[in-house]
Amino acid sequence: MESAPTDANGVPLALAGLSVSYGERPAVQGLTLTVHRGEIYGLLGSNGAGKTSTIKSIVGLVRPVAGEVHVFGLDALRDSLAVKARIGYVPETSMLYEALTPREFLEFVASVRQLDGPTATRRMQNYAEAFRLTTELEEPISALSNGTRQKVLIIAALLHAPPLLVLDEPLNSLDPRSVRIMKDVLVRYVASGGRGVLFSTHTMEVAEQLCQRVGILDRGVLRGEGTLATLRERVAEGDASLEQIFLRLTEEDAGVQAAVNALGEPSV
Amino acid sequence: MSWREAFRLSQVAFAELSFQAVYAFRQGNVLPSGNSGLLSARARRRVLQSKLVISAVLSLLTVGAAAVLHQRSLNPEILAAVPTGLFQAAILTGLFSLDIALLWWTGVQVVPTLISSGVLTVLEPLPIDRRTLEQVSTVLYLRLFDLPALTILIATPIMVGFALGPISGLAALPGAVAVVAYALALSLLTGRFFLRRVQGSRGGGGRAVVRWAYLVLWLIPAFAMFAFITVAPAFFRALAVLALQGPSFDSGLLAVAFPFSFATLPPIAAGGPASLVILSPALLLPLAVALAVYGGLAVWSIVWLSGSVRTLLFLPVRAPVDLENRLPALRPTGRARSVLTKDLRIASRTPGYAFLILLPILDAGALGLLTYASPAANPAAASLALGAVTTAALLATFFGPAFFAIEVVAYSYGRSLPLSNRSVVFGKVALVCLMYLVAAALIVGFSVLRFLHPFTFVAFVLAELPAVLAGAFLELGLLFRWARRRGLAITSLYAGAWFAVLVSVPGLIVAGTPPLLYDLFNGSGTELGLTIMALIAVAELALAFPVALGRGAS
Repeated sequence: MESAPTDANGVPLALAGLSVSYGERPAVQGLTLTVHRGEIYGLLGSNGAGKTSTIKSIVGLVRPVAGEVHVFGLDALRDSLAVKARIGYVPETSMLYEALTPREFLEFVASVRQLDGPTATRRMQNYAEAFRLTTELEEPISALSNGTRQKVLIIAALLHAPPLLVLDEPLNSLDPRSVRIMKDVLVRYVASGGRGVLFSTHTMEVAEQLCQRVGILDRGVLRGEGTLATLRERVAEGDASLEQIFLRLTEEDAGVQAAVNALGEPSV
Repeated sequence: MSWREAFRLSQVAFAELSFQAVYAFRQGNVLPSGNSGLLSARARRRVLQSKLVISAVLSLLTVGAAAVLHQRSLNPEILAAVPTGLFQAAILTGLFSLDIALLWWTGVQVVPTLISSGVLTVLEPLPIDRRTLEQVSTVLYLRLFDLPALTILIATPIMVGFALGPISGLAALPGAVAVVAYALALSLLTGRFFLRRVQGSRGGGGRAVVRWAYLVLWLIPAFAMFAFITVAPAFFRALAVLALQGPSFDSGLLAVAFPFSFATLPPIAAGGPASLVILSPALLLPLAVALAVYGGLAVWSIVWLSGSVRTLLFLPVRAPVDLENRLPALRPTGRARSVLTKDLRIASRTPGYAFLILLPILDAGALGLLTYASPAANPAAASLALGAVTTAALLATFFGPAFFAIEVVAYSYGRSLPLSNRSVVFGKVALVCLMYLVAAALIVGFSVLRFLHPFTFVAFVLAELPAVLAGAFLELGLLFRWARRRGLAITSLYAGAWFAVLVSVPGLIVAGTPPLLYDLFNGSGTELGLTIMALIAVAELALAFPVALGRGAS
């Protein structure tokens, strides 16, 4: 693992009153959260909760209608290039240059990030071997499976050893071996200190295993935030699982039961 | 399941294909806002409009050929030297050649869209039997060509019948059928090659050469019309010589060549074999054999098409993998250069993009050849060479917005990278500059070979270079300002195509002004013309540069 950045000021990520809208439809409303150094922060939410909109506004793909995004003290809107240089981003969908091979794509990313050849090559080869990407590095991305594309995106995000990783459902499509590797990579990544990870998922088990703190997002609003213990205190259930906490905080537990009952017996 | 069911399913697939072709949604494009039903209807309308345009061009060609057959309104010297039947066969040969070129060209453009749309992959997992899936694939493929193909099949016999009589019209039908069958089969074959060796090509320098070679071949049908017009006088002169010789081995070779063999049928129906002059009774047998072979090949093509579309276009294709396990190295470059390299790599696997890059270069090659073939004493040839440089400059500048659009259509990932608009603009301008210089170098090469006056041509190319850069900077700068004002780092072409088209106008004016001034002042001396041209071009660059890279632009 690379040494932690020493030039960074402030916390890896601070959102203050962030709001994102698509036309009249609000996607995120007044979101405030902080990712500390050495922390993996899990952003939990159902489909359409606003996780991806939040992440896209951090990496500059969506312009928020209100609020502030700071990365190591830098304003993401004013210093967008400097912020992007400090972030490694894995998008939810594999938005890749389909007509390039992974090697060509990673070369482009390394060029944009101004990495030197030996460093970029060493990191790429290390991660490619770990994820068992070999012959696929020279095949067009359009011919690759979703899982392989996801591995390419993960390598691209890690290539410059960024101080902040912003990962939108990064384990989707990965095989169990790669999921395990990715989890270990993230744990070791923040263990070296100074770095932070924002990790969105709707898989409670993964969040429970990996994240020091979680934020529960529901219809664009942060319903709860903290460690698992804090959230258990909040729902007043000492042995509640993260899934139970999530459903309680999003007021979905009764709704889930009603939906299951409404389904009745599965028809044959 | 039946063909009827296959047709019903293909209706759904074709609607999806139209949607993907117009909005490139599956490639990551953001849909324009609006009712999805209206968007879908608009997509179908645009696809229909495209088919109608191609069909209209084919109709015009057929009507034009019929008018020539009817009135014989060509050069009187040619008419005096080429017998009537031979003349009619030559015109129909031209028509069939243009038909097959245009239909094939359409095919090589739409087949990659058909593949990338992934429409049939939605149907594959459904409980539909293999035979029906094959039928749906075939119907879907045929629907890409329906209106243009029907235009050829219907308009050709009618218009030839109008010009030469109903029997001759009927005799034109086998040629029209063969043209359609071959064009569809060639499109499928080249589509397959495209999948394996171009779009599916692995990385590496040698494979890049194969990809660019294919893309040059891919463009050649587009130049068929240009080439046909260029070679037509020489073709008629050769026919006049053959007519003088009478039946011979050479005329036998011509008679069995495609599509001339089919083109002989209407004049034979109208005036008998003797009307062609070059055919003796002994040559009728090889002609008949050739027609039978070509006819058989056309029937086989149709049968082959009915069973191969799904296998060739929709089942997964992987280029052969050499199992070397050596991990490649990365060689990062500067940011602007990486944009240029990326664009060239993408273009080498994307015909639509490669077309934009190769068009000015091939055009320059064709015009350079024309210059080279002109008599040395003809001053118009020198003007043609300078005009060709101007054309290359205008074409290269004209595609600036398209390069911007291609950057933005699908690739939102790029926006998450620390890549400034300045670097992107420099990368795109470098591409425009590269296209202009390669095209200009071709023309200079031909001109130097022919006239041995390198100074004027090189000076003209260099004097125009700042204007080309200025045009490209201006267009891209305006596009980025526009995108920024709309609150988007990069935006969708379909959301504002009008602006991308409009922005070409100032670019073309900037690139076109210096050659215009050269033309005005050239009469007072070439040096004066070149000096004024260079000064204006540099001034334009000085004005355009801040627009592209100044405050508020990047």
